[in-house]
Amino acid sequence: MTALFINDEEVTVTPGTSILEACRQHGADVPYFCYHPELSVAANCRMCLVEVEGWPKPAASCCTPVAEGMKVRTESEGLEKDRQMMMEYLLIHHPLDCPVCDQGGACKLQDYTVEHGASQGRYTEMKRAVVDHDLGPFISTCMTRCIHCTRCVRFADEVAGTGDMGVLDRGDHMRIDGIVDDCLSSELSGSLGDICPVGALLDKPSHDVSRPWEVTRHKSTCTQCPQGCDITIESRGDEVIRIRPDREGVEPWICDRGRYVYDAFRSDERIVEPKIRQGDVLNSVSWDDAIGRAVELLKGKRVGILFSPFWSVEGLTAIRLLQDSSFRDAKVAFDLHRRDMRQFAFEEGLAMTTQQIEDVDQVVVLGSDLRQRLPVLMQRLRKRINSGKPVSRIGAMNYRTNTHPTHDALIRPRDWPAVIARAMDQVTEMGKLAAGMDEWRGAVKERHEAGKLLADALMADSCALLVGEEIRSHADAASLIYGLDLLMRACGHAEEGSDGRNLIPEGMNAQLLSSVFGDIRTSAGELFNAAANGELDAMILVGSDPLGDGLFPAEAKQAMGRLPTVQIGAIAGEISQFADVQLPAAAYSEVEGSFINMEGRVRIAGQPLSSIGSERPLWKVMMRLVQVMGGEVPAINLDELRSHVARLAPQLDGAWNAEGEIVIGTARNKDAVFLPSKAKKQGKLDVVSRYSLYREGAWARASELLTDAGRRHALDDVIAHPDTLAAGEHTIRSSAGEQKFNVGNRTNVTPGVLFVAKRGVAGDLSSELTVDVDGGGV
Amino acid sequence: MSAVENTSPQFSAERLDEIKALVARYPAARSALLPVLHMAQEDFGYLSMDVQKLVAETLDLHLMAVREVVTFYTMFREKPCGTYLLEVCTNAGCMLNGADDLVRHLCDKLDIKVGQTTPDGMFTVTEVECAGACAGAPVVQVNNVYHEKATAESMDALITQVRAGGDA
Amino acid sequence: MAISSDPKKVTRICFDRIEIPNQNKLDVARENGAYKFLPTVLKTFDADKIIDEMKTSGLRGRGGAGFPTGLKWSFVPRNTGKPTYLLCNADEGEPGTFKDRDIMRFDPHLLIEGMIMAGFALGVKDAYIYIRGEFLAEANVLNEAIAEAYAANLLGEKILGTDYSMNLTVHRGAGAYVCGEETALIESLEGRAGRPRFKPPFPAVEGFYQCPTVVNNVETLSTVPAILEHGGEWHAAIGRPNSAGCKLFSVSGHVNKPGNYEVPMGTTLRDLIENHCGGLQHGTVPKAIIPGGSSTPWLMAEHYDVPLTYDDIMEAGSFLGSGAIIVMDETADVVALTRRLSHFYAHESCGQCTPCREGTGWIERVMNRVDGGQGCEGDMKVLEEAAEHMAGRTICALAEGGAAPILSMLKHFPDEVRAKLKESSQ
Repeated sequence: MTALFINDEEVTVTPGTSILEACRQHGADVPYFCYHPELSVAANCRMCLVEVEGWPKPAASCCTPVAEGMKVRTESEGLEKDRQMMMEYLLIHHPLDCPVCDQGGACKLQDYTVEHGASQGRYTEMKRAVVDHDLGPFISTCMTRCIHCTRCVRFADEVAGTGDMGVLDRGDHMRIDGIVDDCLSSELSGSLGDICPVGALLDKPSHDVSRPWEVTRHKSTCTQCPQGCDITIESRGDEVIRIRPDREGVEPWICDRGRYVYDAFRSDERIVEPKIRQGDVLNSVSWDDAIGRAVELLKGKRVGILFSPFWSVEGLTAIRLLQDSSFRDAKVAFDLHRRDMRQFAFEEGLAMTTQQIEDVDQVVVLGSDLRQRLPVLMQRLRKRINSGKPVSRIGAMNYRTNTHPTHDALIRPRDWPAVIARAMDQVTEMGKLAAGMDEWRGAVKERHEAGKLLADALMADSCALLVGEEIRSHADAASLIYGLDLLMRACGHAEEGSDGRNLIPEGMNAQLLSSVFGDIRTSAGELFNAAANGELDAMILVGSDPLGDGLFPAEAKQAMGRLPTVQIGAIAGEISQFADVQLPAAAYSEVEGSFINMEGRVRIAGQPLSSIGSERPLWKVMMRLVQVMGGEVPAINLDELRSHVARLAPQLDGAWNAEGEIVIGTARNKDAVFLPSKAKKQGKLDVVSRYSLYREGAWARASELLTDAGRRHALDDVIAHPDTLAAGEHTIRSSAGEQKFNVGNRTNVTPGVLFVAKRGVAGDLSSELTVDVDGGGV
Repeated sequence: MSAVENTSPQFSAERLDEIKALVARYPAARSALLPVLHMAQEDFGYLSMDVQKLVAETLDLHLMAVREVVTFYTMFREKPCGTYLLEVCTNAGCMLNGADDLVRHLCDKLDIKVGQTTPDGMFTVTEVECAGACAGAPVVQVNNVYHEKATAESMDALITQVRAGGDA
Repeated sequence: MAISSDPKKVTRICFDRIEIPNQNKLDVARENGAYKFLPTVLKTFDADKIIDEMKTSGLRGRGGAGFPTGLKWSFVPRNTGKPTYLLCNADEGEPGTFKDRDIMRFDPHLLIEGMIMAGFALGVKDAYIYIRGEFLAEANVLNEAIAEAYAANLLGEKILGTDYSMNLTVHRGAGAYVCGEETALIESLEGRAGRPRFKPPFPAVEGFYQCPTVVNNVETLSTVPAILEHGGEWHAAIGRPNSAGCKLFSVSGHVNKPGNYEVPMGTTLRDLIENHCGGLQHGTVPKAIIPGGSSTPWLMAEHYDVPLTYDDIMEAGSFLGSGAIIVMDETADVVALTRRLSHFYAHESCGQCTPCREGTGWIERVMNRVDGGQGCEGDMKVLEEAAEHMAGRTICALAEGGAAPILSMLKHFPDEVRAKLKESSQ
């Protein structure tokens, strides 16, 4: 530790800390613009000057490391004059926009001018004005206000990895600009509005809407993906104005999806009134009438329940309570992306925190478009790569990461067993063994060289596997995961404290869903097949949209068309065309409830916004149904419901009274032993269903902001490597028959695979595992 | 050549070989950016946006990285200039030895203002910073060739010679 | 080399062969002693010996900062696992400086030899000469000389049959004075805009691509062969204590024979200007002299007899800097000159640091107004404060350089400023 004096007070800090950080840690106020704890040091604003005894000139505290015995002064006459001059320099060209600038009230320039600046400027020459360029729908520009701190440039280079913001010219002609075709290409672009200290880069959707002092801030949890970021929802009255990262949250950034989904809260797609279908139309009715009609359709029937994992813990538990009470034999599914329902050797959820993943020796991403699925985790990996630590990747496509994975291998989904077997060969040769591994690899004929990347990484002291959707949705997922489990155990990465087996979940609350529904769940595909075979009489959809999401849109269409359906949820979506009754459930921003993220962190949301209509928290809707179905209501308030949660998921017992943060572990199943099965007859091309950050999830689709962004970032419907299929129109044969599609070419994808977008046009193809194509196919 | 030819600029095969050999002399390709921009300016006359994109592609850099460099350095031009670029140093030593008068003379003679190009596209007159040849003040660079102890007469002679079809 | 081994008799080191016709050709250069001592160095000296000699020599960086060269070389850590780089700073952009140009175009092999010896001492595999973009002719001469050196096994693999290999590449800049600052030079050589880096880390430890790097001026490196041949003590005995050796002075402005003159350190300004440069163009008393390039404070007539050494010039209130001497005689319009210099700094500021970016622009505009007869008394205070608060508060010293002419003008010629104010013409 290094000891130094700040304003005569002795403090100790880690060696290498900058003077500015030392001051911040010990409450000494030093002004700054360009410094940001998550970005590299630029030291260009010169606002952070401090005096060091014995030094002839003031020092920039952000870039000067502390030294033993150093004596630092943060206040003096000289510094006062320096700060005054810095403000005068900055205000030379800065326009007097305060009355019309959104940054007003939350602006460092304003604050420091008041605190440190002179009351009048002496500049009487020409002032500079800058031409603005459009950076897209999320960030507005008024670059005349720019003070050239370069936070945005460093963000674009280091955090976003896109390098599309830059500094042009020099001297006081210097201007910061972006090169964009249509819009900023980063999924984190909304952060630019947060980090710009002045009103040069502002949040566009909330532009000119409110002043910072008018809004109420609600601590909440984003539920757009399993990361479950800590967010602050800013509202004025009932209306959500903006979503930003919670400053005390775990992650420093949130992605554009979580940030801009809020216009969906008020979209026309919201289900806010109970409705009953009369003919072609859904009409608003009273809660009693709607519940009554629902019970009519469901009571005594063979029911299928399909729900979304993104509800609160309380809501999800209530679904189980309803099922236990009123639909004991119901087929229950919640995973739209899983084909193999056998038990997984390690279940969904991360065994490590995102910080641990950032820090371990090796990380291997197996089959995931991580940037789109978990943008904030991807940013951690980008940070890793920037600092020189390795990240390996094996998958069907060189998904855009805005960084350079250290090692990359392209494979087809049907190659996974060969990859794992190859890795097993190598680790066995190195003397790393696990019972069952020989049997597993003996069951696989082929070997794929990509397995070497995996095996090499496993040799490190600490290694994190991030097992993604390509494996989770594989028809033989359970045996693949068992194989990976064997590898991890053989190489010492499966013990407590060094468990690197991270299976990326489909949604939130994965750990809870294992406990609460583990014994009764089926796959969505099975559910729809049962419906199609006449084994079900009615469907209850709780927040799920199998037309817009998941691998079973074709099956869903078939099934839903035949059955009466009760839709309970917050968003109507395309699936509502099949709804006979709609019951409005409150959005995640409108409930008091708990959420568990992929790391197992429990978040308790307690400051809900008010409902905008008649919607109720999901758990209340479930209890009402129990009541009208004739059962005994198991919980009439949140406490009672939570006692049920604790009963079904004992790890959560006491979570709501705990002092610190609760973290739930992820289940491991020693008995989930599955050997790779023989491949069934397959079509020539594997199908990989592509994910779109802006279009997956009912909330995203209900948001105009995100839909617009989705249009701008869209790739071709169907993509193939030019060696597999030439670009142009092709006829594709699958279990759904023959369909014509326009195929685009990219060279950063594996030959032998067809990549389909879920946009309804090629969406039906995403049900397929393999297809044949006329005139092509490797 | 078909009428629907791709008109975006391309480096010749020889130039690409030269670039490849050059890149090998540095720890990373990015270091070759300034030399390659000089080459591109030589080949194409000026660094239009298309040329900048070509350079970015050739060296596998973000376009913004190229633009930052092009706009930072004085010698890189984003717009065409006259066939003969007359750069007059007007800094300390040259100023003390009549550079300002020389600039005025050139502008009068060619009937343009500083920074402008003659209508026939032959001459551009600009003022530049210290050329590093102060003993020869005033210094005029004509397409990067140093003309030291330049005078109104010597510049007039040059202009006449060039206009008559000779070299500078 | 034809330089005397008696330090008392030495008047020139770098310019010793500068007048020999075709000295840039390898065969001519060799006839006149180039590379003669190199085999001895490569075969019998080691890094420690060379760095010791350089320390003993007292040679200080000739680019302007005057940092002891041997000491700089000793800062380079060894066995880091990273390559060490040697960068020659041939950016020569400081107004008034034009000495390195002559070395490069007339005796390039002197520089090349110095770089090989320096590279050998530092364990360098790849060395670069960063030459300002405008020096196209000089770059061409250098490239030809380097090609000759490669062909003669003086560069490249296993130089002269020893185990030492070194590559040398000429890298042209593109018009940015700030790239003469060593960290900006490194940035530019990495293919970026030339924006200086803050220190620490120092280039010796983390420089070019975060590897140990030494940046030395052309003149500095060109002195190395003589020092190694004649010994560090020999060099230390030339010139003055703390200002050892000879120095190239580029003299320009209102002198009759402007040019580059190499003289032993300690020669007085008067001696240099009167006896070498043919005296002032007008009159016999200088109005003002800028001793070390436009970034240094002005000296007055009373300083005419100050010896040209680092210490004496500092005592007189300025810096020896690059040794670029700009002379102003009684006909000089100091306000106009300051106005022109303020344009230079505003044009060349990289724009990173607030006070330099905004301050140089502010100062330029005020000076335009003042020199154009539209100034007021308040402008003088503004100029003073804007300049004072740029200096010393930035990442690099360009701001200090920009402040120097303003503060000198205000200090020594306030009446000439006042004479141009609007009030005075009314």
